[in-house]
Amino acid sequence: MQKTEKVTRRQFIKASIGAATAFTIVPRHVLGGPNHTPPSETFGGALIGCGGRGNGTFNAMGLEAKKLAICDVKFVGREDNKTIYKDFRRVLERKDIDVVAIATPPHWHALISIAAMEAGKDVLCEKPMTRFIAEGRAVAEAEKRYNRIFQVGTFGRFDRSRNPNDILIHKIMASGLLKKNCKGVHIKSGGLKVKEWSGMVNAQPQPIPKSLDWDFYCGPSPLRPYHPHRHGGTHRGYWDYEGGGLTDMGQHHYDPVQWVYAKDDTSPVEIEAYSPPAHQEACGMWGWVELKYADGMTFVFDSREWGEPYNRKQAREVLLSDLSEEDQKNIKEMPDPEPLVSFAEAVKTRKRAGGNADAANRSATLMHLANIAIRTGRKLRYDPVKEQFIGDEEANRLVNPPMRAPWHL
Amino acid sequence: MAKQSSALAELINRLPDPDERGLLSNIDKETVDSAVSQINEGGRKSLRALIGMLVEPGRGDDVKPRYALHCLAVQMCNSDEEKSRRVFTRTLAMQLGGDKPKAVQKYLIRQLQVAGGKEVVPALGKMLEDEELYEPAAQAIVAIGDGAAEQLRNALPKVKGKMKLTIIQNLGVVRDAKSVDALKKALGNDDREIRLAAGWALANIGDAGSVDLLLKAADAEGIYERATATKACLLLAERLLEAGKKEPTVKIYTHLRDTRSGPDEAYISDAAEKGLASANKR
Repeated sequence: MQKTEKVTRRQFIKASIGAATAFTIVPRHVLGGPNHTPPSETFGGALIGCGGRGNGTFNAMGLEAKKLAICDVKFVGREDNKTIYKDFRRVLERKDIDVVAIATPPHWHALISIAAMEAGKDVLCEKPMTRFIAEGRAVAEAEKRYNRIFQVGTFGRFDRSRNPNDILIHKIMASGLLKKNCKGVHIKSGGLKVKEWSGMVNAQPQPIPKSLDWDFYCGPSPLRPYHPHRHGGTHRGYWDYEGGGLTDMGQHHYDPVQWVYAKDDTSPVEIEAYSPPAHQEACGMWGWVELKYADGMTFVFDSREWGEPYNRKQAREVLLSDLSEEDQKNIKEMPDPEPLVSFAEAVKTRKRAGGNADAANRSATLMHLANIAIRTGRKLRYDPVKEQFIGDEEANRLVNPPMRAPWHL
Repeated sequence: MAKQSSALAELINRLPDPDERGLLSNIDKETVDSAVSQINEGGRKSLRALIGMLVEPGRGDDVKPRYALHCLAVQMCNSDEEKSRRVFTRTLAMQLGGDKPKAVQKYLIRQLQVAGGKEVVPALGKMLEDEELYEPAAQAIVAIGDGAAEQLRNALPKVKGKMKLTIIQNLGVVRDAKSVDALKKALGNDDREIRLAAGWALANIGDAGSVDLLLKAADAEGIYERATATKACLLLAERLLEAGKKEPTVKIYTHLRDTRSGPDEAYISDAAEKGLASANKR
């Protein structure tokens, strides 16, 4: 055996470190090739909304993105308008920013998403996508108009779309063979954090912290007296900013389910809630909400936190045996749906993301419909094409509530 | 009177107390529904007394009266009795402009946004000139819709600054074609936000006579103003196409396609190209 073939562990490590060092002298993004990011795949990123979900949302983009700017209305006195910003509009003026992660409270989601796409950026927006129904349609229109990538920050549909049983259900539903007699009932019981994310009804005004631009925080929503419970996570408990645990957790749960049951392009037609009268400003307790699609498919939110648990229907999957033998054969011959495209892949290839604005609008709409049924206290009928309630002027006032200037859709 | 006040107080007391965290977590639907219905049965006097219990935030505890009033507003919408709803909304509207604290009046306006109809729009319109009430008043008027444009139009020459901005934006929301001249004038305002709001309003109205003005605004050098005014142009093109006005639509798309030639604005050029193709199919 030759001497040169003998390499001690110490020598090996030394050599390895040398090689690694030499390798890293050249920036990774310049190299390209498999497992390396070519220059065209490096991105300038910005994070707008730097609360608890901020970094998680930014990292969820799954891209080689350099965080060039962070922005939050709580940065009063800290903003340098180079890396730290208070006003998202200044961030969007930067030409070196390609992708924007939005993790503000939801009353800002749609407006910032739209403004970002108008400025040519791609957007990953934290869930829930919107605060009210019309915002979702406006985001979808902007996505289409500017041909930008939009992905909502909930990803359960990607896993479900790879599950063989879910693919089968998706194919049955997408086939349209169960047009008017779908027996499916999906019930989400518990886990909706209803009490945890309720609002205070006796909050008294308090001094605004010097680091916070409260007027900007309220933005399109009514300007209320400051109280810390309205800001910093507990904002979830107020209609002005979100819609309680139902809105916050609902899209996590029902966005994947919506894909499984092939409802990305429609919404329920009947909505009924069991709840006490809602408070004007604070989200509160409710029992259950039943949402029925035109084909009979029913989604249920069962809070298990107020009143009697839901007992109108039993959960029931859609089955292949719901179809005639001939139709079953047709379903088996149907090709599987195209794999959903991740945000990172969409940004690179310009294909549409799996959790795009149209789909996300529909899943966010489920929560908004449920909350409007809770707030109005009556059974509602909804037109999924017009995205308006039928024969209910007052309920429609909650579909597209006017914003405070200068903010508008 | 004292007897009635005492009865009202008793009904109000039946409503749930906030828990230790300030939440209405212990709430019984039947109790609330029954108490609110009985308050309603008391008619105008009962309603006025309830309104009298409201105080400015920080000046006392009015959690239950506020909740009761909102429940009543929602109940009015659930009722088939249009007359009851009007009694409710008119009683609230009569309190506007009086000596009640502005924060209380604001709350009443929010309830009118829930249950009000055209019968209260003139009263709300007067509040458009009030520095503390113009925002909720504008939102309530626009939510109600019927008669909103006239009130906004009347208020426009009488207000300045943020109030003017609010009126201009909402004239766009209600798509008031009779305001086109005033909005065109506002395009020359010194305030950038007013210029942008006027541009968006003209676009949303779909005014074919504004094409050149909006295209000029969209060629601004400031990045934000340029992007926002460009959005207005694309919106105007869509509105014009919806109305079957192909020629001005093509003009907008052609201009944007040809002037957004740099790599930073290629997506605008692409959007215009796509719009142009769509217009040419018509």
